[in-house]
Amino acid sequence: MTITQPQAFKQIAVEEFRLTEEPFYLPINDEIQLFEQAYERQIPVLLKGPTGAGKTRFVEYMSWRLHEHLGDKSNEGVPLITVACHEDLTASDLVGRYLLEGDNTRWIDGPITRAVKVGAICYLDEIVEARKDTTVLIHPLTDYRRLLPIDKRGELLEAADGFLLVMSYNPGYQSALKDLKHSTRQRFIAIEFGYPPRDQEAEIIRVESLCSAEDAQELAKLAEKVRNLKEHGLAEGVSTRLLVYAGKLIAQGIAPRRACQVAIVWALTDDLEVQRSIEEVVTSIFEN
Amino acid sequence: MTSTQDLIERFTPELRGFGASLPDEFAAALGTLERRLTPEQLEAWADQGVKLAHHSLRSWEAAAEYFRASPEIAPRIDFDTLVEWGETAAELASSSALMSAAYVKATPALLDLLPAEDLTPLANLGERLCRGNWKSISLSSLFYSTSPALLGVLTLSALDEFVDVIDALTERSYELATACLETAAGVFGQLEADDREAFLRFARAVTRASWADTRLYFERGPRLLQAVESGQRADFLDLAARVTTEIGRQGYPLFAEAATSLAQMDPADHGDMIRFARRLATGSPTSAMEYLKSAPFVRSRLTPEQMERWSEAGRDILFIERNAEGAEAYFRLESTRAEDSLAALSARVELSSVGTTLRLYAKALTGEQIAVRSTEDLVDRGIGWVTESVATTEGTSIYLPPYVNAYEEQRANFIAYKVFTTHQTGRLEFGAFSYRYGEPGTYTGGTVLAREANTPPPSHLEASDAPQKLAAVTPMQRYFDLFADRTMIAGLFTVVEDTRIDQVVSREYSGIREALRRLQSYEANRRPDVRSMGLQAAFVENLLRASLGRPDTIMWPMPLQSLLGQGLAALRVIEQPGATVQDSAEVATALYDIMERIPNIVSDMLKDDWVAYDEDYLSINPMMPGGGGDGDMGPLVPSGEEVAFQNPPQPEFRGDFKPELVQLLMQLRLQQQGLQGDAVLSPMSAEQLKQLLENSVEITISEMAEGDLSSTLGLFLSNLEKEAGTPQTDQKTQQGEQDGSGGVEEEPGPMEDLPVEVTWKYYDEWDFRAGDYRPRWCRVGERLGEEGELDYYDDTLRKNHGLVMETRRQFEIMRPETFRKIKRLEDGEDVDIDAAIEFIVDKRAGTGPLGRIYWRRNKIERDVAVAFLLDMSASTDEEIEKQKPKYDQDDDFDDDPRKYFQWLAQRRAKQALEPPKRIVDLEKESAILIIEALEAIGDSYGIYGFSGYGRDNVEYYVIKDLDEELDDSVRRRVDKIEPIRSTRMGPAIRHTIWKLQEFEAKVKILILVSDGRPQDHGYGRDRTEKEYAVHDTHQALQEAKRAGITPFLITVDKEGHDYLKQMMDDVGYEVVDNIESLPRRLPSLYRSLAAE
Repeated sequence: MTITQPQAFKQIAVEEFRLTEEPFYLPINDEIQLFEQAYERQIPVLLKGPTGAGKTRFVEYMSWRLHEHLGDKSNEGVPLITVACHEDLTASDLVGRYLLEGDNTRWIDGPITRAVKVGAICYLDEIVEARKDTTVLIHPLTDYRRLLPIDKRGELLEAADGFLLVMSYNPGYQSALKDLKHSTRQRFIAIEFGYPPRDQEAEIIRVESLCSAEDAQELAKLAEKVRNLKEHGLAEGVSTRLLVYAGKLIAQGIAPRRACQVAIVWALTDDLEVQRSIEEVVTSIFEN
Repeated sequence: MTSTQDLIERFTPELRGFGASLPDEFAAALGTLERRLTPEQLEAWADQGVKLAHHSLRSWEAAAEYFRASPEIAPRIDFDTLVEWGETAAELASSSALMSAAYVKATPALLDLLPAEDLTPLANLGERLCRGNWKSISLSSLFYSTSPALLGVLTLSALDEFVDVIDALTERSYELATACLETAAGVFGQLEADDREAFLRFARAVTRASWADTRLYFERGPRLLQAVESGQRADFLDLAARVTTEIGRQGYPLFAEAATSLAQMDPADHGDMIRFARRLATGSPTSAMEYLKSAPFVRSRLTPEQMERWSEAGRDILFIERNAEGAEAYFRLESTRAEDSLAALSARVELSSVGTTLRLYAKALTGEQIAVRSTEDLVDRGIGWVTESVATTEGTSIYLPPYVNAYEEQRANFIAYKVFTTHQTGRLEFGAFSYRYGEPGTYTGGTVLAREANTPPPSHLEASDAPQKLAAVTPMQRYFDLFADRTMIAGLFTVVEDTRIDQVVSREYSGIREALRRLQSYEANRRPDVRSMGLQAAFVENLLRASLGRPDTIMWPMPLQSLLGQGLAALRVIEQPGATVQDSAEVATALYDIMERIPNIVSDMLKDDWVAYDEDYLSINPMMPGGGGDGDMGPLVPSGEEVAFQNPPQPEFRGDFKPELVQLLMQLRLQQQGLQGDAVLSPMSAEQLKQLLENSVEITISEMAEGDLSSTLGLFLSNLEKEAGTPQTDQKTQQGEQDGSGGVEEEPGPMEDLPVEVTWKYYDEWDFRAGDYRPRWCRVGERLGEEGELDYYDDTLRKNHGLVMETRRQFEIMRPETFRKIKRLEDGEDVDIDAAIEFIVDKRAGTGPLGRIYWRRNKIERDVAVAFLLDMSASTDEEIEKQKPKYDQDDDFDDDPRKYFQWLAQRRAKQALEPPKRIVDLEKESAILIIEALEAIGDSYGIYGFSGYGRDNVEYYVIKDLDEELDDSVRRRVDKIEPIRSTRMGPAIRHTIWKLQEFEAKVKILILVSDGRPQDHGYGRDRTEKEYAVHDTHQALQEAKRAGITPFLITVDKEGHDYLKQMMDDVGYEVVDNIESLPRRLPSLYRSLAAE
């Protein structure tokens, strides 16, 4: 079956994805150094932190940055395979499966298998969302063995050198049902991502959204105030990502109060009472 | 002459027989009359008099009056009339001599008010009252004797109507009629002439509708009317009369209340109001009066225009929706619609409705767990804050006034609240309470240590018997101790620190800068006259004005300009970015030193010598004053009378500022938590505390002045300690601030250690007639059920062992149902053969469906919460008459009483051994069974009982809460499920709905177990009405459905089919025919309800 593709987009195999430009990342702590050393020593990394705190961006940044570290001159990062986990994600979604082709069947590698083969960074986003059997699957990959068993083919795959498993995990809103098992979590070093301090966050907002430094400062201040409401009506504080969205709208000429309303207040919660309170904070901070 | 003499001689002997004085009266009258009357006339007159005397037993008394009155009236009427008059007297005498005498006696006075021809009609009026018995005679006589007075205030035709009223009253009570008659002249006298007839018309209506109220009306009516605008009284009375005619006995009370309400309104509005009420009255008389009654309250919330709109909305209910009951409820303010429309129109903002928002707002700003409370609460707590109208904070809570109504728009009033809150949170956020002794600020050095070294101990401690001065407990206290005049330094520190906070707030929160400025300006315009203050207070006042951003309002004596200049420059220091509370303390110190150089007098200078400050405030360079030096005030030192220093009043939005107490409270809290923050400052002794409290100026003196100082202090201290010990969870407050539909209010009883803790909560009730909710109508008191004996539970289990095991088994069977096979998956445990074949066929055929050919078992967690609501009304005390059929079976006692008594004795013996089962016993057994069953299946369940009496006291017993574990105390509580009182189902259901809503579960069920129809005191229009209760319960069940809860009713009321259909509508219910099957039936019903 051939489908003619309009060339409006780029199509590449997952394992060929590399970052070609340096993404913006403002280090808050020693996380870069930690990650580099983990990569070097092939220690799997668990990134903990609330949504929108920069975990994904950090992985992207590191994948780009590591080529330098590895002495690669190609100006591209190491391959990065990202899998967004969801509750129906099964082991075969990760490893691969047989497909029928005519009267025969054909094996297709799953993303993790590809990552193991090419030596990519495999980033499992929101790992707690995935089904339990998937987490067990990664166990032999994450210790000294670095093996991926492929049951359906009766094979064992040894990971290429550059392979590193990175998972992200948001301890904020998981229920008891969705906690990471200890047998899993104790295979990783954990890097905590909090919200950046006000000034740094303002800098991030400014760079990412291209809004004015003053607006960025006010947004960062707002973020600090709103985060005070965590667990008092809000399950999660406002993410830097949302602040950047708000900053982008402001930079485009949307009135700050309105921008905050759509990008922050309404995005954060459906609880009218909490919405109202946050809006009052917004109107206290922004003049219009 | 001769004829006169003749007459005397002729009649005297006759007259003498009646009484000694009669002949003399006769002679005297003759003497006067002979000049006016012809001898014939004279004779006729005399004859008439004598006949009168003869008429009946005591009619000579009337004759005496006749002789006495005649000379007076003869000149004023012609002879024929005189004769007619005499005949009338005689006629009256035939009814009663007393009446006749009273009439005759009153005649001269009457002639002043009446034309002669009206004398007879008047006499007829009095005669109407006479029914021949002595009570009526005396009433009638009273009428005659008061008639001159009455005619002074009423026309004859009005008097006619009045007699009707009195006459009507006599049918009920002569005493009442007499009392009314006696007071009538005075009553009417108080009224304006134009209103008297209207007053009478209403009186007539009242008499007909509820005669007993007539006296009240006569006593109080005129005074009540005084309050009504004079031109409107007649209309108002007519309205009242009309209402009373239509609705009867409530007429007068409504009138009285409406009049009282009118008294609270501007008389200029009375006309419009009464006109509006009259319009309403054409559709619903009650509404008209309720409207008037509610008016003052409504007016207190709304402007006249808004009120008009509010009223019109009610009128539309009446005339457009044609719902008279709804309109009544609306105007009585007992309808949600009325409240909603009031709230929507009103600009006034209530703390109760914005408290949650403000609490979260404050929490967001400070990051601290801050409660928002009404200032009313703070005063109650007795820890030193006494003014109710101003905002304040004591470190963990922000106290705000209960409402704001300063502006005409709701938003503006809310923003005022917000500024209040921001200023208070600002104090917390920007460290107004974190003063640390001796540390330097950003702009100022710490001079306090040097000052401490140079300060002699305050004079009041110098006295030889003064106690040893103890170390200060808090840094703030130590700081204040440095100054001789604590009031002054506290006042200055407050102004300075508030200035700083306002500055930081408007820098940090540019969004409210504008509102803050507006509020500051509003306050600045309301400041007291600075020229009447002592100069020191005026100094503080001027600083305050500058700090409110209105230096233009500064007024200060010309000669002292340089001192004020220094003060303002110092204040400017604190306005700079980065200034801290340390700077505030230093600036306040500097200002204090300046102030000491100002004589504290009320200046006797001319007004012209008070001038605005000559420099532009904003151009003043921030500068701390130099040490002393230019203290020279020149020759023009103002003179005047010395006064005691008093701080000018604090602007409202800034509220009270009590850093010393707040630091103390914080300190106490730390101490109580065992976290000693600062080693230097701990531990504090009772003596130290006492010293702080005695010296502090933050405690209002009035509070201490009463009674023994030390005992007041002791109480105060324990209040403070209790305060510090109270965990500052804002949970309570949060609940308290919720709106009417779901507000929990904790009302601590007078005794704090009462064993039963009752949490009160208010619910609306559905008024089906009005088609609207009655807001916050019922108060549900939730409490833990009492604990009884454990034996009951165990015994029941033992007795029903078989049943228990059976139910358990049945429930356990339910469990596997929870694993469900999910088909048509892309991946799964195994291939679903059917789907696979289908897929292959499709594929070969060229259509390409997705390969969803797998199935998988998914474990579905049972997520069910069920609440059982047991009727604990008195009627559940009824026995289940299982003996009755027995009696029927062998009722054949062969008419032998012995057999019957034998049977009876047996029955009694059996009953003594095993008391008959009551409905409540079955409820209890069912509860136990269901507990056992549900424990097997693991669903969350709660068991509650309800009863109560009246809408204020719906008792709600928690046997087992939804999230409570089954333990012995739950088992004990089952024993104490007892019949109590009434059955107000609606609020109990609503409370259970609330409980279920608070609980997280996918499936929620409410099972109501009852023995009959809902009924309670006031649960309906009157005692016999049943519909209201049925409708309210129906509504409550519908609410449950809307909340995603499955309601179900199990009733043992076999006769209930009449109301059940209406009450349950589409909600499931079951009538358990055989009551004893209840324990068996309940679990199986549950199974079908809770099957997912």
